[in-house]
Amino acid sequence: MQYLINGLTIGSFYALVALGYTMIYGIIRLINFAHGDLFMVGAFMGWTVLGVFSATHAPVAVVLMISLLVAMAVVGLLAVGMDRIAYQPLLRASRLSILITALGVSLALENGALILFGAGFDTYPTNLLPTTTFLLGGATVSWVQVGMFTLSLLLMLLLYLFVQHTAVGTAMRALSFDQDAARLMGVNVEGVIMITFLLGGVLAAASGVMMGLYYTQINFLMGFLMGLRAFTAAVLGGIGNIPGAMVGGLLIGVLQSFAAGYISSQWQDVIVFAVLILVLVVKPTGIFGERVVERM
Amino acid sequence: MQTKRLAALVATAATASLLLAACGGSTSTSSSASQPIAIGVPVPLSGPYASAGQDIVNGAKLAAAKINKAGGVLGRKIEIVPADDQCDPQVGAQAAQKLVSQNVVGIAGGYCSGASLPESTVFHSQGDLPFVMDASTNPQLTEQGFNDIFRTIGRDDEQGPFAANFIANYLHAKKVVVMDDNTTYAAGLAANTISALKSQYGITADHEVITAGQSDYSSVLTKIGQMHPDVLYYTGYFTEAGLLLKQARAQGLKFTMMGGDATNDPTVLSTAGAAANGFIITTSPLAQFLGTASNYVSQYQAAYNKAPGPYSVYEYDAVSVLASAIKSAGSTNAKKIDAALHQVKDYKGLTGTFSFNKIGDRVPAAYITIIVKNGQFTAYQELNSSGQWVPVP
Repeated sequence: MQYLINGLTIGSFYALVALGYTMIYGIIRLINFAHGDLFMVGAFMGWTVLGVFSATHAPVAVVLMISLLVAMAVVGLLAVGMDRIAYQPLLRASRLSILITALGVSLALENGALILFGAGFDTYPTNLLPTTTFLLGGATVSWVQVGMFTLSLLLMLLLYLFVQHTAVGTAMRALSFDQDAARLMGVNVEGVIMITFLLGGVLAAASGVMMGLYYTQINFLMGFLMGLRAFTAAVLGGIGNIPGAMVGGLLIGVLQSFAAGYISSQWQDVIVFAVLILVLVVKPTGIFGERVVERM
Repeated sequence: MQTKRLAALVATAATASLLLAACGGSTSTSSSASQPIAIGVPVPLSGPYASAGQDIVNGAKLAAAKINKAGGVLGRKIEIVPADDQCDPQVGAQAAQKLVSQNVVGIAGGYCSGASLPESTVFHSQGDLPFVMDASTNPQLTEQGFNDIFRTIGRDDEQGPFAANFIANYLHAKKVVVMDDNTTYAAGLAANTISALKSQYGITADHEVITAGQSDYSSVLTKIGQMHPDVLYYTGYFTEAGLLLKQARAQGLKFTMMGGDATNDPTVLSTAGAAANGFIITTSPLAQFLGTASNYVSQYQAAYNKAPGPYSVYEYDAVSVLASAIKSAGSTNAKKIDAALHQVKDYKGLTGTFSFNKIGDRVPAAYITIIVKNGQFTAYQELNSSGQWVPVP
């Protein structure tokens, strides 16, 4: 039971980042390697804002909300800028050019953060969140875990509703089905792609700030491992598929947790990736398949 | 890439200056009585460990100043001659050659064991020049069969038995879990601790290994919690130690948590917050935890306007014990100084009272435990000379 709780907590962070991978892949068929680094920038933004407000005596809840919103806004805009500068000009170029560009953007973000924030670890304040816990079926659960999990689910739900029930969401789905046809139908393709990047960035930032608050340590390289795991989650669920990314993220978290608990912490990555390979062998499109149009 | 090229450049420059020094130095080998006695200090003075090296040189200079103020040694002043070894084996060998060409009488210093090793061969080959190390803890250094190597710091393989002793005799633990992060250093310390627990105290410890660099260790902690241990001893680094503490306490796990000397870093406190309280670390005593070194700390602060760093006080002792050996040898002859160093008995240094054993290792080993109290590292327990645990004065 405790393993399940641990796994769901970390899994919800993975899921939020995986959503960004999956949305961007669904729409422009790009595996955005820089996405994990957006998560890192989000964590640093939240940390910076918290640092600014720590001097004031504003209530904790307000400060947390502000830092979360500022980080989401900044990283959302950063993602849009990334799209405009690095990806838009290459939309008609070969897949390889844009993939390499994504790697370049990732390195630029990592090294930018290295210069701005230094190579060491920075830590979020530890006294902001309550430490109260309760017992659930023999497992210790903290209210913070519950809060983080709920917030993640809420963000995912909002995204789902946005994609399913708004005009822009409909345009996104149209785009993922056939870009040229969508353009002929009067869809503003560039605009929709920008909004997709914005949403991906916002979710990554939310995950970054929450992870920073929960684990307290942040570092300029934290996006790499996160990106790798989230990408795995997206592939596991079926890349391009939104509910797939959510389920994939939670699944990876839980798998990792059980592997560490019942086998060995050293083997957890081996096991997670072995499961990934197995799933892909049996069902190459991932658990939910890559049927973006119908499912998204 | 760039650093490599830079290193090559510096190495070339060092070789060039070495040649020059060698040419210039050959004429003045006769040591006149008025000349100062040169003590070489090979440490990294550029690159990522430069600040640690500078701390050590500062410690050496404070020791020299103290000795010179009291009239020097054999009527001559002590002069500290630093050399940059960049924590690199090749550059270290060149730095050692350079010191030899500058006619040093003895050497007190070293930071990275990897660089100290080739340096020790150079000094040994130059007529057994005495080399007193202040910070290099690799066991191999004193196991080479050289009679001119000494150290004022403990060895890596002494920490394991020390920790085992503390766990068994002070904490009276019955069930112990030892955890490492699979790095050479941490795995070695874990293995040493487990074997000492087994062979000396009959305690069979469980062994867990984690992968460094993850953020979430809650599941491995859950697993350990189900074993109901009295003590968890983590031999890896401070980054993970902070996370382990925070996540263990968040799950309501109450066992005592201990860390090896690589966890001795303020990051643990800022990461874990209140959860760090009660965390015990086995470490070489830092100057600020030594009652005997409190004057030194304030002296250093006044002279250099910063904290003395972890090793400068060991360097202070290295220079001082070397000077006192030169004095009792009554000569600057290398072999006579080596013999005098082997005779050192219960030398009262700032880091405690110590002697050297046959191979030049410090006895008794310099380790203490520190504990986190109210979010601060504070001195805790140490072994006295009769093997009892007593509070650090």
